[in-house]
Amino acid sequence: MFDIKLSIFSGTRILEQKIDEMHDKVMESSLFFKEAFEIYMREKRSANYRRSSKKIKNLESEADTLRRDIESQLYIQNLIPDLRADVLQMVENLDKVINEFDEVAHKFYIERPVIPPEFKEKFHILVDQVCECAENMSICSRAFFRDFATVRDYSRKVYFLEHESDKTWAALKQDVFDSDLELAHKIQLSGLIGEVADIADRAEDCIDAVLIFTIKRDI
Amino acid sequence: MDLGYLFFLSSGLFLGWSLGANDASNVFGTAVGSKMLKFSTAAIVAAIFVVFGAVSGGAGTSRTLDSLGSVNALAGAFMVALSAALAVYLILRVGISVSTSQAIVGAIVGWNIYAGKTTDMETLAQICATWIFCPLISGTIAICLYFFLKKLLKYSRLHLLMQDQLTRVGLLLTTAIGAYALGANNIANVVGVFIESCPFKPLHFGSILTLDTTQVLFLIGSLAVGVGILTYSQKAISTVGKNLMKMSPMVALIVVLSHSAVLLLFASVSLHNWLINHSLPALPLVPVSSTQAVIGAILGIGIIKGGRGINWNIVGKIVIGWVTAPILAMGICFISLFFLANVFNQTVYLP
Repeated sequence: MFDIKLSIFSGTRILEQKIDEMHDKVMESSLFFKEAFEIYMREKRSANYRRSSKKIKNLESEADTLRRDIESQLYIQNLIPDLRADVLQMVENLDKVINEFDEVAHKFYIERPVIPPEFKEKFHILVDQVCECAENMSICSRAFFRDFATVRDYSRKVYFLEHESDKTWAALKQDVFDSDLELAHKIQLSGLIGEVADIADRAEDCIDAVLIFTIKRDI
Repeated sequence: MDLGYLFFLSSGLFLGWSLGANDASNVFGTAVGSKMLKFSTAAIVAAIFVVFGAVSGGAGTSRTLDSLGSVNALAGAFMVALSAALAVYLILRVGISVSTSQAIVGAIVGWNIYAGKTTDMETLAQICATWIFCPLISGTIAICLYFFLKKLLKYSRLHLLMQDQLTRVGLLLTTAIGAYALGANNIANVVGVFIESCPFKPLHFGSILTLDTTQVLFLIGSLAVGVGILTYSQKAISTVGKNLMKMSPMVALIVVLSHSAVLLLFASVSLHNWLINHSLPALPLVPVSSTQAVIGAILGIGIIKGGRGINWNIVGKIVIGWVTAPILAMGICFISLFFLANVFNQTVYLP
């Protein structure tokens, strides 16, 4: 009896763990991105920064493998036929946020931007906001699977943080173009600021989809 | 055994086949329509349990049909069952899910009119009342279950995937329970009119189990229901499972549970006796329409959700089917009895 019970539910439990792991990866990539940014601000493109951005790269590639695995298992086990497409889209969205962290970290590594001291504080604020936004997106998405009554609470937080990051992005961009830097330098910084802010936009897109799926999930 | 009897019984078997083809969609149509169960799995489970239900619990409702009109000639019973089967088949061909219970009641009334017998109006009123109460009770049970499960899901915080698996197991169990209830409640529709002229001998399975003559008749009738489920029930599923209202798997589970509860309420002799012994109002043991039970449950949930998503055109078509089935069966029965008696010189009733 116990064996039968195990064989029916074990596949599902493994898949549950994989979906949880995917959410963990978003959290970790956010934390590593913050860490990498701190290192870059202190040491520019050092060996430490290289190590830190490499961690994000590894996370990104693990997340890709996980995503493919989750997608195939959902079909093989014929689970949640009515919500399968939605869950697949959610997993893809999570993966895109991780990709975004990796791309920005890599861009810092390749372009080696010089960030003047007067912009550092706002840059810090922007990075903190987008990371917090991504982390809350991950909590919200996780809640969809277990405790979907709280999805709405976390989604409000994500929307708020995205809005705040937009304001910081606009102010920082304004400061950059008001400064006496070379035009090429301004354009380079502006592009980077935009890419960092895009992480929050991507998190917001995920939440838009999660909210729609939550309505569909309600029995 | 008399081959003539088997020939006449064939109309009952045809009705059983029609019931299986039509009413199985009520038992697992929602589960298959929401892609939670494979048709083959659900159909095999339902076919097995419908036989169990008919043989072990079919006696109660057959007495009620008998008191409505005791069809006392084999040829008459043949035509009553055939008329009901034809009415169900013709309406089913149009793609409308229809009530076998209503068809058989219409056909028995047709026989009563032809034979000049008085229809027991009290029983008829009781049966007609269930046509109204059955969807109402089913809808009420569905609404209660809906709120209960919604709260349960909120506090249990089950993972979506585990919830999906448990729902799947639940749907398989309710398919079995629903098929059992269908067999117990509706077998009287299929072969109830043949009980009076039943020539079978008791059937012994060693010393473990003995089926009396009526149970043997029910066994044969329920096997026909099983064949109907396996061969032709997919068409009706497209109506109940998909078109009436888009259902989540959890709603599908609620619908089948409500349907099974109603059918068991109207079929269980033990429950009936228990209620009477405790001075509680007992429900009559009447073959109710499983179609009405399912539609009642779906509409109950649809209405508390604000009526959104219900395809009212299909609801209208189903209601037309409910009105048409007994009238059509009565008409077919009356005309066919005339031909059977006057063209084929068969005795269709005993004075």
